[in-house]
Amino acid sequence: MKIELIVNGKQQELDSAPGETLLHLLRRIGYKGVKKGCESGDCGACAVLLDDRVVNSCLVLAAKADGHRVTTVEGLAGQDKTGELHPVQEAFLEHGAVQCGYCSPGMIIAAVDLLAHNPNPSDQEIKEGISGNLCRCTGYVKQIEAIRIAAEKMRKSADV
Amino acid sequence: MALSNLKEYVRPDELDVALSLVKERGTSARVIGGGIDLVRSSSPDIETLVDLSHLSLSYVRQTDKGVAIGATTTLTEILEAPALENYLQGVVVEMLHQVGAPPLRNLASMGGTLASAHPWSDVITLFLALGAQVTLYNGVTRMVPLSDLYASRALLSPAIITEALLPAYAKGTAAAFMKFSRTKFDIAILNCACLISTQNGDCKGVRLTAGGTPQLATLLPAAAEVLLGRRLNQTSIGQAAGIARETTLVRDDLRASGNYRRELVYAGVKRCLTCVSRQLSGVSQ
Ligand SMILES: Cc1cc2nc3c(=O)[nH]c(=O)nc-3n(C[C@H](O)[C@H](O)[C@H](O)COP(=O)(O)OP(=O)(O)OC[C@H]3O[C@@H](n4cnc5c(N)ncnc54)[C@H](O)[C@@H]3O)c2cc1C
Ligand code: FES
Ligand code: FES
Repeated sequence: MKIELIVNGKQQELDSAPGETLLHLLRRIGYKGVKKGCESGDCGACAVLLDDRVVNSCLVLAAKADGHRVTTVEGLAGQDKTGELHPVQEAFLEHGAVQCGYCSPGMIIAAVDLLAHNPNPSDQEIKEGISGNLCRCTGYVKQIEAIRIAAEKMRKSADV
Repeated sequence: MALSNLKEYVRPDELDVALSLVKERGTSARVIGGGIDLVRSSSPDIETLVDLSHLSLSYVRQTDKGVAIGATTTLTEILEAPALENYLQGVVVEMLHQVGAPPLRNLASMGGTLASAHPWSDVITLFLALGAQVTLYNGVTRMVPLSDLYASRALLSPAIITEALLPAYAKGTAAAFMKFSRTKFDIAILNCACLISTQNGDCKGVRLTAGGTPQLATLLPAAAEVLLGRRLNQTSIGQAAGIARETTLVRDDLRASGNYRRELVYAGVKRCLTCVSRQLSGVSQ
């Protein structure tokens, strides 16, 4: 079947078998930043934004996403055409929140959703925001710190 | 491929079209809300999916009868709805914060959650305690208590859940929910909920539920009965929790032993009732 998606701002008409997941489709067309982990909704490695809300792309049929906007980690940088990293990506890099990096795209996407809806989250709210994202390396402390710092930075630049 | 035999994915604009597709295709067709359970099931039997997202069933509305929630409303939309912020001291919001994680709640629909009837469902345990009603459409529309849906699964074959109603309650009513799980993200080892309506400080209406026993939530009538006409205090709460422990059917599964669950029923009912008692004394001050 034919489906239309707007992936990272770019409209695309795609062929997809009716039972294909969004995770599978996105990786098939080159968005390898969307990671395949458990494929059962447990790890969050496959997280993308579907119309601005974070979802597990392994649990979404591509057909269900037809006509919707999808943002992957590849679409976060340079949204303003400058090519600059998103403040959450920058904070993850600067504050050592990435080790092997497998969970990072999903975790960053979850944080972007959180900060879009709650610009000044408490640590408890940050923990809830990334509670669907498992990390086997970091112990989460640096990631929580990085999200707090990104939130501060985003609030400051919104004030300017 | 998640659903290897899926042949058609349809998104009708009318409820009648959705229903007739499900009727015509029989057991090879399913309606899809969030799709979480359907995708995870990888069922080879499913050939048609009927997506309900174009039926204008995503809403949370305050009505004179209570709060009406459309079937395709996501758990996040329910959690963020102004109409539920202060409904029974925010008990629905508090429960939903404990359901999975944001990426799941952004997908899971109210209709799919009630229809899938997971025994450990947090939503069902609380909605049963709140006396929720569901509207079903099978050519005619009818509203039934949510408990009827689980007493007779035939009600859903074939029918589409279009709405759930959380009834409006008078002042002097309070509710609480409690989930026990290994981590916050895990599904419940056991969950409990209660709804208490009072008159002059005495319990007039009592609904207690326990779920994940590991069976689907049921009402605990014997424990509720002992509270009728009495005040909530340490003695009455202890008695009700004790009866709940004795009368709730529990058993072992991979998450916990039956004995452990029995103690959780006691602790859960006691904590829910204590929480409600505090809320009610706050209201009357
Ligand atoms: C990792 C994970 C963690 C979870 N954690 C929790 C938790 O902590 N607490 C909890 O309570 N739940 C939890 N869940 C369960 C989750 O809430 C359910 O999987 C979800 O609510 C299903 O909703 P859905 O809309 O995606 O259902 P769908 O997959 O769309 O549908 C499920 C079933 O209902 C039918 N259906 C859908 N809509 C309707 C309708 N309107 N009328 C009639 N039938 C319909 C479908 O045909 C299907 O048979 C978890 C699930 C996962 C995967
Ligand atoms: S791959 Fe989707 S949640 Fe793990
Ligand atoms: S950095 Fe390795 S899994 Fe998170």
